[in-house]
Order: sequence, then C-alpha cells, then structure tokens
Amino acid sequence: MKRRYRLLLSAVLVFLAVLVVYGFLPLSPGSQNVLTVGAFAGSYWSLQNGNSYKILDDAIDLFEKENPGVRVQYVSGITRDQYQEWLSGKKAEGKMPDVFLVPSDSFQSFAEIGAMQSLDGFMKHDNDFSEDVFYEKALQSGRYRNMLYALPYECSPVIMVMNRTLLQDNGIPEPRKDWTWNEFYEACRMTGVSEGEASGQYGVIDYSWKDAFAANRVKLFNDKGTACDFTGDNINEALILLEQLSKLPKGKVISAGDFYKGVVAFEPMSFATYRARVQNDLSYQNYSDFEWGYTSMPAGTAGDNVSRLDTLTVAISSDSHSKRDAWRFIKTLTATEAIQKEIYDYSEGLSPLKSVTEDPAMEEYVLDRYGVVLDRDVITYVMERAENENRFPDYEELETEVTTAVDSILEDKSNIRMEQIIWNRRINNYIKKLSY
Amino acid sequence: MEEVLNQNRDGIKRVSAQLFSLMQLFNCLMIMFITLVTAHAMHGFILEGNAFDLITKCHATIVYWKIPVIAGILYISLLLLLSIECNNHIELIVKLWLEIAVSAGLFYCTGLSYTVMVLLILADIVRNRIDWSKKILYIVLLSCVDLVLNGNVLSGYANPVSVNQIWTYYRPDVASVFSGAINIMFLIDVFIFILYMVFLILEQMSEKERIAALYRELSIANHKLAEANKQLEEYTEELVSAAETRERNRFAQEIHDTLGHALTGIVTGIEACIMLMDIAPDATKEQLKAIEEVARQGITDVRQSVKALRPDALERLKLEDALLKIIDETMRSTGITINYNCTTSLLNLSQDEEDAIYRIVQESVTNAIRHGKADVIDIGIGREDGLLNIKIKDNGIGCGKVYKGFGLHHMQERLSLLKGTLSYDGSDGFTIYASIPIRWGNSAEEKED
Repeated sequence: MKRRYRLLLSAVLVFLAVLVVYGFLPLSPGSQNVLTVGAFAGSYWSLQNGNSYKILDDAIDLFEKENPGVRVQYVSGITRDQYQEWLSGKKAEGKMPDVFLVPSDSFQSFAEIGAMQSLDGFMKHDNDFSEDVFYEKALQSGRYRNMLYALPYECSPVIMVMNRTLLQDNGIPEPRKDWTWNEFYEACRMTGVSEGEASGQYGVIDYSWKDAFAANRVKLFNDKGTACDFTGDNINEALILLEQLSKLPKGKVISAGDFYKGVVAFEPMSFATYRARVQNDLSYQNYSDFEWGYTSMPAGTAGDNVSRLDTLTVAISSDSHSKRDAWRFIKTLTATEAIQKEIYDYSEGLSPLKSVTEDPAMEEYVLDRYGVVLDRDVITYVMERAENENRFPDYEELETEVTTAVDSILEDKSNIRMEQIIWNRRINNYIKKLSY
Repeated sequence: MEEVLNQNRDGIKRVSAQLFSLMQLFNCLMIMFITLVTAHAMHGFILEGNAFDLITKCHATIVYWKIPVIAGILYISLLLLLSIECNNHIELIVKLWLEIAVSAGLFYCTGLSYTVMVLLILADIVRNRIDWSKKILYIVLLSCVDLVLNGNVLSGYANPVSVNQIWTYYRPDVASVFSGAINIMFLIDVFIFILYMVFLILEQMSEKERIAALYRELSIANHKLAEANKQLEEYTEELVSAAETRERNRFAQEIHDTLGHALTGIVTGIEACIMLMDIAPDATKEQLKAIEEVARQGITDVRQSVKALRPDALERLKLEDALLKIIDETMRSTGITINYNCTTSLLNLSQDEEDAIYRIVQESVTNAIRHGKADVIDIGIGREDGLLNIKIKDNGIGCGKVYKGFGLHHMQERLSLLKGTLSYDGSDGFTIYASIPIRWGNSAEEKED
C-alpha cells in the first residue's frame, strides 16, 4: 500500500473515531422529529400530587400545536427517588432524553460532566426570549461557572410561617418583612413558656443551622465542595443565636407537628410545603383554631433576609441531535404564562415567571380556590434575596456532618470558637476522606 | 567474511522488526484488555443501578461500548501511521505530530491510564533513518510527553473516564488481578522495548563492523594494487631495456643486411672483374660500373640505416617495387638469374610485415649467393589459408647440416615477432620456407580477386 493511502486511511479512521465519539453515526434511526423528555412522577417537593404529568402534557400539546411535525415523548412512571439514577443510566447508555428536568441536587453533577447543553448561545440568538422574565435568583440556579445550563421550571423559597393568633396573644407585633435576628429572638423569648403540665409554648421550631447560616451570609463550602470554612465570625454569630434559641423554655414542644397544635409561634417552611398544608383540607382542620401567616426569614447580624431557594430546572442534553426543537420546548415549558400558571393548579411551588406569580388576578384566583395567600410583597422581597444552595455531589454527606457538628456544639457548654476550630479540621478531613 | 557479516546483520534486522511487530501486538492486547474490561465494568454499573456514581465519580460521560470501538479505530490508525516510512525531515515531523495526536486520543480513551504507545512511537523514531541529532531532539520531546502523561499532570485539568474508579465495580481481588495483569503487560512491553533498542544497537554495531571489514578488504586490495604497480614499473624498465637490446640487435642486423649485402655484392663483383679484366676489359668496365652502383647503394643504405634504421627502399617504394629493385640490382651486380613469381597482392601489409618480407628475401638471396654459390634463385610468394608463404630456392651447393648464422637467426626472430614460422631445407640446393599470418582480412583480397 502506498504511503499516501496509508496516511489517508489513518486520517479517515481518526475522523470515524470522532464521529463515534459524538454519535453522528448513520446507523442511528431518523428520529429527528421526535423530542424525548425526561420527567418524574409525583411532586418535586416530596408532597402528595396526583397531577404529576398534567403540566407537561399541556406543554406538549401546546408545543406540538405550535411546531407541527415535531413529536414529544416521555417515559412515565419514574419516581422522584429513581429519577436521578434513571437519568444517569440514560446518560451512560448514550440515550439521554433531549430535554430533562434537573433536580437541584443533581444539577451540579450533571453540569460538571457536561451532560447539559449551555443555553447562552440560544438566548443570544433568540430575540423572542428575555431572561428578565424570570426571578433572577431562580435563573441563577441554572448557572454553573457563569454558564447557563438550565431554565427554572418551578421554585420554592423557605419562608417563615407564623402563628398569628399566638403572637397576638403574647403581645408580639407581627414581624415586618425586613426583620432581624434580634426581633426574631425577642419574639421567641416572649413566646417561650415552659410551665403548665399539658404542653407549654415555644418560639420557633425547625430553625436549622442552614437557615441561620444563610441569613448571616455564611459561605461554608467552596464551589466544588472540596474545602470547608467553619471558623468564620458570621458562623460564630449564627451558632450563638442557635444556642440562645435552644436555651429558651419550650415545655414539651419537640416535633414539627407541634406547630399545627398552635403552641409554636414560628416555623421555617418551604413555600411548597406551606401551600400543600393550606390547600390540604385534612390538615386544615388541625390548624383551624389559629390564623396562619408568613413572612421572610429574619436577617442575621451580618446578613440579610435570605431564604434558601430550591429550584427545579429544565435542561437540554448536550448529546441531543435536535437542540433547536429542545430549546423551543423548554421555552414553552418555562417561559409560557399559560403553562406556568398551571403550577398554581397542579403543583405546589412558585412559578419563576414574575408575570405569573405577581399577577393580581392570580393572587385572587389562588386565594379563592385554594385559600393560599400569594403575598406579592413578601414573595418579591424573598425572591430578591433568596440564595440557591450549593449542591455539589457530596453535599448530603457533608450536610449531615455539619449537623452533627452544630448539634455537638450546642450540646456542649464549652467555648464555641474553640469547637469551631476543632470541627473545622474534622469536616475538612471528612471531605478528604470522601474524595478518595 | 562479508557474507557472514551480512547474514548476521540481516538476522538482527529481522529480529528487531519482529520485536517491533510484537510490541504493536502487545499494545493492541493491552488497549483491548483495558477498554473491554472498562466497558464491561461500566455496563455492570448501569445494570446494578449505580449509573449516577458512574457518571459523576467516574466521569464516564461516554457510552461504554464506544470506548473499545474508538480505541480500536485509533489504534489501527496509529499502526498505519507507524508503518509509513519517511524520506525527509518534514514528513517525519508531520507524522510524529499525527502520531502524538492519535496517541493522545487513545490516552484519553483509556482514561489517562495507558501510555505505552509513546514507547511505540519512540521505537519508530529510532527506526527512521535521520540524523542522530534530530533523533535525540525527538526522543527528548517524546520523553517529555511520556513524563507528562505518566506523571498524572493532566488529570487535574481534564476529566476523563476514571478507569480506577470504574474498576471498583469488580471485587477487590478480581480488580487487583486485572491491574496486576495490566502491570505485567506494561512491564513486558517495556522489556520488549528495551530488547528492541538492544537489537537496534546491535544492528548499528554490525553495520559498523561490516564497514570496517570492507575497509580492511579495501586496504588489502590497495596494497596489492601498489605492488602490482611496482611490478609494472619494473616490467616497464625491463621492457625498455629489452627494447634497447632489440634495437641494438636490429642495428646489428641492419649493418649486416645493408653493408654486408653491399660488400658481398662488391666482393663478388670484384672477383668477377679480376677474372674478366684480362679477357674482356669492356665487360669488366661494365661490371665495375655495376659494382660502383652497388657500393653507392650500400653507402646510401648505411646512411639511411644510421638515420632511421629503416630500409630505404621500403620507405620510398612499395614492397613489390622494392623487391623487384633489389632482385634487379642483384642480378645485374652478380650476374645470376633470379626468378620472381608473386601470385598475390602485396598491398595493405603492415610496416613490420613489409620489413620482414623484404629482409627475408634480401637475406635469402644474399645467403644463396654468399654461401650456396648459386647462379639461379627462385622466389615464390603466395597466399594460402590466411598465411603469406614465401619460398626461396637456389640451386647452390646447399648443406647437410645447417648452421644458423646471424642472418637466419634474425629472420627467425623477425618472423616470430609476427607469429610467423621459418623452415629451411639444405638437401637440394637451399630452400627457405617462411609463412606469416596475414592481418589484412580475406575480404580485401577477395575484392581484389
């Protein structure tokens, strides 16, 4: 064989290898016009929901009407728990759906391995689309290293749900939306009663270190979750608050259920959970004897009224062969008011579309139909200040470790700063152990 | 000696080529082993429902079956590149970079775990016939590439498939057997590479040895040549002295031929004069005039010989005319009868041949008169079978036994120089037979016929 042919043949082979890598093989069937969607059954917010695919079905109908010739398919029946594994399996088999819902705990993992298509190019060239229609913080949850990979589909900030009746009975003014830790502590202190055989009263339940750290602008881990700083002053302040709160008299108040008995003044709650509680007739009877309300989370001494935000996003697979159709579909799903409005009928979260969530007609509709108050003022305030949690791959293990650390610090009566340094070393060692 | 060396060298070349093929084969085995096991483990991950770990912890973003397929394709491509022989430096650079690119692809495919193909490229570079300085440059470059690849420098920047993580799919003992197998294969590969280099060095050494042997042979040949040259010089000197001797002989012969002939003619003429003087003074006067002419001719001959040592008659005349002249002169000066009979043309003869014929005739006639006391001489010249035959017969006293005189001896010498033969018979008068191989071809003769 001549040298030239050998060179040519080797170049052809390299080209073939590249084709195989990117999957442009002629043997893949002509599925150009079928768009596959990855979605899960049930509620993203770990709540009961019988209308799991309703919004998706309506979005598909709308999309197929607007884009004749393109069919959209999805596999139904995958539960929320199985979803991440199912999606990973599809990715590993090279059969990733063109469009898929991204739970916030999977987002960073999928972004890191490049499973998602960057949307910046589409946004730049699409004149019909503006990212300003979304709450900025909700959109932020689709970003990874300054690149947008996913659009927000539904979100839910943590809000402070309060027992208005109990506050009034104890002569505590209803907190404003820009309240602080001092006011919060004061309100709790005034509510706390440990006398009485039956129950006693308590200021706040389930106010976790996560809420306190978020309110005081603590950045516990770096972006990749490979280092932890547990020694900062703002952590110290948060820990002191938590310690003070834990020392308040609380009688026999021990579980989150006690809020519904009307003996707890405050409970931080995901907005979705709040909506579900209010909408659900069965539990409504449990709290019918007191008046519900919600406000933003109290601001830390060095922070702001920051809520933790959880956002369900939608992304396009980087392996997709019909990314333009996929882009149109995720726009239909996330940026179309008609579809986003359905969130208030068939789901529990907030629509990340400002025009939907802040629509007075919608506020009225939700209140009439489900008894849920959409306090535009508070929601806008909360959404402006909310922070997405940094959900790197090993986040859950580290979260448990930090919980252990905080609990241990609160139990020991020793020096908090000292403990912070000790636990800082332990947590970092744990991170090192996880990475091996 | 040289054949043995060549055989040896061919043997070494063959072995090193086989080692190179063996390396290629082993690399192929290793790549296929690594990628197939990896693909199997990845498939296992998916089946067991650990796909999330697979794609996040192991960074396996590529479909499992694609890994061995791509690795195979790239490896075949690398083999093709390796099989290309480069004629010049630029080709080699292009080829080298292509090879490095393909190996980088392979390297990425195997999850930054497989670096042996650098050895393959290194072996290929060393195999190519280019300057050693450039070779060393490339070797250093490739070594740097190898260091970077092996030093896990890249894994911080790229996130390739993590083979080690994927192999945790297997039980630890099985996984350790697999990595052991990989390590053994790696070591074998390195061993083959070292062996290959050794054989390459041996090849170089045998090449040097061959050159040294050739050099040795060359110097021996040179020596022989010098000796031969010396011998040739000696021989030339000998030839020169031989030529001198011959020339002296010829000189002597010339004197004998010219002066001797003339003097013989004069003596015979004078003898006749003495006898005739009283009886017929007029005839004597006539005879003396002939003698005078002979003497004059003799003087002229001597002069000519001294000048050029060449027969004067021949210089001026054609051979036949010269012969007729000498016969006429002899007949007139001695009064004997000479019958001349020539049946062939005497043209186109070389100088030597002409001289020889002329001298033979002259000498024979002189001999016949001087020794044979003959009064009739028959001269016949003819041609037969490429030979010019000369027969000179006299009716003299002849002789029972022939004592070779100076004349006969010289005739013989002249003829032998022309590869001719001379024979004589002294029983009935005296007869001389001379035959000369004729150098002019038959064709000339036939044309004339």
